[in-house]
Amino acid sequence: MSCGVLPRRSAIDRILVSVVDDDESVRESLPDLLQQFGFAARAFSSAEEFLASGCIDQTRCLLLDVAMPGMTGPDLQQELIRRRKTIPTIFITADVGMTVRQRLIEQGAVECLFKPFSDTVLLDAVNSALRPK
Amino acid sequence: MDVQYEQDAGEIKRLQRCINDLVCLLALPALWSGGDISQVLDTLLNTLMRMLRLDLVSVRLNLSVVETPIEIVRVAQSFGPMPPAHEICEALNHSLGDNSPKWPPLLRNLMGDGEVSMVPLPLGLQGELGVIIAAAQRAGFPQQTEALLLNVAASQACIGLQEARLRSQQKCIADELDRRVARRTAELTAANAELQLQVGLLQRLPVSAWTLKPDGTPDFVNRVWLEYSGQTLDFVRSRPDAWISAVHPEDRETASRSFWEGVRSGQGFAMETRFLRARDGTYRWHLNQAVVLRDAEGRVLKFVGTTTDIDDQKRAKEKLRRSEAFLAEGQRLGQIGSYCWRPATDEITWSAELYRIYELEIGMPVTLELIRSRVHPDDVTLIEKMKLVDQAREGSHDFEWRYRLLMPDQSIKYMHAVAHSTRDQNGQSEYMASVQDVTARRLAEEARDKAQSELASVARVMSLGALTASIAHEVNQPLSGIITNASTCLRMLGADPPQVEGARETARRTIRDGNRMSEVIARLRALFSKKEPTTESVNLNDAVLEVIALSILELQKNRVVLCPELADDLPLITGDRVQLQQVILNLLRNGSDAMCTVEDRPRQLVIRTERDNGDRVRLTVQDAGIGFDPQAADRLFDAFYTTKCDGMGIGLSVSRSIIERHHGRLWATLNEGPGAAFSFSIPRTPAGLAHADGIRNIQAPAVTGSAAA
Repeated sequence: MSCGVLPRRSAIDRILVSVVDDDESVRESLPDLLQQFGFAARAFSSAEEFLASGCIDQTRCLLLDVAMPGMTGPDLQQELIRRRKTIPTIFITADVGMTVRQRLIEQGAVECLFKPFSDTVLLDAVNSALRPK
Repeated sequence: MDVQYEQDAGEIKRLQRCINDLVCLLALPALWSGGDISQVLDTLLNTLMRMLRLDLVSVRLNLSVVETPIEIVRVAQSFGPMPPAHEICEALNHSLGDNSPKWPPLLRNLMGDGEVSMVPLPLGLQGELGVIIAAAQRAGFPQQTEALLLNVAASQACIGLQEARLRSQQKCIADELDRRVARRTAELTAANAELQLQVGLLQRLPVSAWTLKPDGTPDFVNRVWLEYSGQTLDFVRSRPDAWISAVHPEDRETASRSFWEGVRSGQGFAMETRFLRARDGTYRWHLNQAVVLRDAEGRVLKFVGTTTDIDDQKRAKEKLRRSEAFLAEGQRLGQIGSYCWRPATDEITWSAELYRIYELEIGMPVTLELIRSRVHPDDVTLIEKMKLVDQAREGSHDFEWRYRLLMPDQSIKYMHAVAHSTRDQNGQSEYMASVQDVTARRLAEEARDKAQSELASVARVMSLGALTASIAHEVNQPLSGIITNASTCLRMLGADPPQVEGARETARRTIRDGNRMSEVIARLRALFSKKEPTTESVNLNDAVLEVIALSILELQKNRVVLCPELADDLPLITGDRVQLQQVILNLLRNGSDAMCTVEDRPRQLVIRTERDNGDRVRLTVQDAGIGFDPQAADRLFDAFYTTKCDGMGIGLSVSRSIIERHHGRLWATLNEGPGAAFSFSIPRTPAGLAHADGIRNIQAPAVTGSAAA
């Protein structure tokens, strides 16, 4: 899977938001919503798949599941930092835990959203991730 | 000689005067030339009176000359007092009689103080015009010269009068002519103005107007059309269908057909075509109508027609049709119906989707009674108690209420209605309402609520935090899909133009995820319900997968990599599914806990199912953890034996009890490498009949987070 050539010309100008989640329904639904917001969107079923995709450099915002088999979301975030590829990251998790959220934000995440979240909350988070610091 | 001379001189003088008078009389026409009858008479009488020193002169004109008889009398002042003029005239007429040929040349009459000599002078040959009477008292009147002068004056007067009469008649005719010309001119001016107005109207009507000859060639085309199309009148007239060059190419064939059919049949036509607007090069829809004008024999004289721009109406209609279609589609996707209710007339209009929700034939008349017959009886009572309908009738409030429908098959639908009060064009109160069928949502909510309350009792069995986290994870995952898909669906429907196909797909996913969620909830319920132990056919692989689903989160949190190795050909077993799952859950958690300090190798946890010898099935959970002291292997399954600081040491003990009740065996072995494996093996079918009772004897299985390692 390569981001070298995007499927449609119109997608070239759009900001790429990548979704990494092992849950298929999330991979299915989130990209559609992101496209409704006007972003380009790609979905990956694991951290490993994303790292191998070649989309890292194009990705302007990462929507990252916390708990995944194998490499977890925080693992991926640390790996990206190690590679000096800092992508604004929004964690998404089905677990409600304020301490986890606090820790993730302290470690550099833009936001941590609890599933299920509304479309406006998501849009706000993505917009704040894209806002230049 | 002198006397003779004097006589001659007197005679000469008299004759001279007579000639002067004669000349004077002959000059009269010049005096009254151009005048009317009264001027002629006036001049004549004054002249005679002065010239002949008359005492009285009168004139009477008959009807043949003037419209009313004229009688004028002039009397000299020296004549003394006289009776009124009309009496004199009467007396004169009486003396003369009517028969002019019998008039004597002179008659004497007593008048005033004495006798007067009167000379009647007929006007016209027979006096048919009238008569002039000249009278004097003096003797010898009229002298010969005076009689001559009178006759000349009478004939002059006659000519003058005739001329005046002619002039008067001519003048009358000329006046009449002038009057008629003036009237006609005024009429023409008015008609012309009217015509101008009509032509102006025709040219400036807000529609294109035109006429066609019987063969279809245009002969009149108003300015509106010429300005719209940019065509010239000459061009349009050049051939019957020159105008068609302004028609949209796609419409030409049908336009031409309708046109010629209408012209040839003499019926006229009505058709809709798109015409090019010269100003901006756009095509706009027009309605073209022509009616036929026929003569008395029924022959076609002309076609008269108009071309009306209906583009805006057409677009509005199309837009309305599309938005109605989208609305209907949206309502169908969202299972939302809408209705309008006018309390004053009880007129109710339903959308198609509302008919579907109420399961009524689309289009059947809706009454409050009909609605009431569908609403759940309990809710009817409630609605009546709250006087919702009466309140709505009286005031203008917005309403929101939830109620149920009881369908003919006794199924129940949950409805959520929101009504907005408004006023129609006539100011009448009107409610616009949306009604959503929330049954699916309501059932899911109910199932969730029920599962949650049931799970509350299981919370004692599992560590509360782990349990709720598991359930939240299990429920939130599909819920997240539902909400994201529904949001996307709404946005797609709200887009311009609506992305109906995409919306349909996301709505489908929403339903699918909803079903998934209800499956999850059903599974949770089965797993944690406080059912009495039962024996049933159990697919051990399915049981394992359900436990994995529930515990995967905790395993991932502990960075455990779970590797299921489930046999394809595993036979069904007979036993208590829930109790067996509690054993599996306990083994998985023990394995996970045993690896919590491992950092130098993958925290791999294998769960394996397989056939075992002697028609049995075996399940093994193998960890890579710290293992256990072989010396203590026998004590692992004792109650309250634990190596964990927070454990209670009950888990393995209870697990072994459960397995033994299933006539099976639970044991532990150390791996060749790091870690340990816990296995149980149970027969497919428990031997003997007592086993069912045996299983029931296990009370309140308590699986805690304890481990034996």
